[in-house]
This record gives sequence, C-alpha cells and structure tokens, in this order.
Amino acid sequence: MDAAAKTNGVMEHKPKNIFTQGAIAATFIADSIAKHSSKTNIGGHSIFLGQVRADVINEKKVAAIEYTAYEELALKKMHVIREETFAKYDLTCMHVHHSLGTVPAGEICLFVFTSSAHRRAAIDACNEVVERIKTELPIWGKELFEDETHQWKVNQ
Amino acid sequence: MMRVEVLFFGKLVDIAGASLQMNNVRSTDELLEQLRLQYPALAAEKFMIAVDKKTISTNTSLTENCTVALLPPFSGG
Repeated sequence: MDAAAKTNGVMEHKPKNIFTQGAIAATFIADSIAKHSSKTNIGGHSIFLGQVRADVINEKKVAAIEYTAYEELALKKMHVIREETFAKYDLTCMHVHHSLGTVPAGEICLFVFTSSAHRRAAIDACNEVVERIKTELPIWGKELFEDETHQWKVNQ
Repeated sequence: MMRVEVLFFGKLVDIAGASLQMNNVRSTDELLEQLRLQYPALAAEKFMIAVDKKTISTNTSLTENCTVALLPPFSGG
C-alpha cells in the first residue's frame, strides 16, 4: 500500500498502531522480513532492533523494563514522523513496532524496518526514525530490578 | 462548575497517581499552582504539558471537560 501511494504521488498513510503488548518476538520480525519478498522494487532494507539491557545500577540488576505511553498522543506523533520521513526519503515502506508492558532483559522492545530501492534511503531513514522515536514519542520505561524495586529510565 | 481531567505519566505517576479530576481551574498556570500545593514533590520534576493532546509552551486557558497531561522526559526505545 505504501508503495502504491508513493507511485501515485499521494503521501497519505493512515495512522497505524505501533504498540505491541510485551516483547517483540523474533519470529514476528522474521515473518515481517519474509513478507517483503513480493515487493521486487526493493533493493535494500534497514532494520533497527532495540533490546532491553540488564544494566547494573548500585549493585542491582535490571530484570525487565515496563513501558507505558500516552498512546493517543504517541500514535498522533508517530503519524507525523511517518509522513515527514516518506516526504524526505525515497522509501518503499516503513514499519515501526514498540513494546508496552513488561519486556524482560534480552528481549526486543523496538523494531524499526525501512525499505527502499537503494540502500542509502533505507539506512538514513531508519537511523532518523529511531532517534525521533526516542526523543519525540511520549513513552516511558520503568527499569524493574531483580529485588522488585524500580527506577525510571533516562534516555541518553 | 468546570471539570478538567489531569493525566500523569512516567515518574509523575509515583507522585500523583495516574489521573485525577480538578474543578474550576481556568488555565494551565492555575492548575499547576493547585497541583504543586497538593503534591509538593512535583516542584522538583521536569515535564511538558499537553492540553487535549497538543503540547503547549505558554499559559493556556482550559475548557469544560478538557484533558491536561503532564509528560516527563520521554524514555522509549
């Protein structure tokens, strides 16, 4: 659909839900890659996977991150990011998935996937979208320690 | 009587809970003043404010049934 909209010169994409409850499964990511084999105008994909790190803070280890969001505002902002990214880069398609709820250390919490005819657009768009997700989307991570205490994550 | 819904997110939930209703606050400045009296710990926190899902940067007048959200620094991804 994204590709069709693009060739028609129509830059309209409907707001999509980016949120998944819990971790993003590796099988979901694999399926998502497989689905693109029919889009033979694509020459390059770029994928970013965010994984929950078991940081050790004051001798306490992070067991999981619990994500919450102001979902309506996040989806509204993600829609703007999507439109601006398609306007700026010559992309074939773009997919974004972010976890909500608890994601254990070692599991995937963010999946950004961009595709284009030539690699540069996919790579640059993917990097930019990841940065914008981190700074512009109202999502919060609460780091849950093994002893059941918590602290609020701060993005670097 | 004018009612306004206030939503808290991230770290602010630990201070004030997830949401509350306030009556007869006419502007975001008035709302903040009352919230700081009720939750003194809010004074030490950084946050942006969104009124009906639009982030604002100056004092904004509130309308019946509007939603005000207090958004601390984001930490998604």
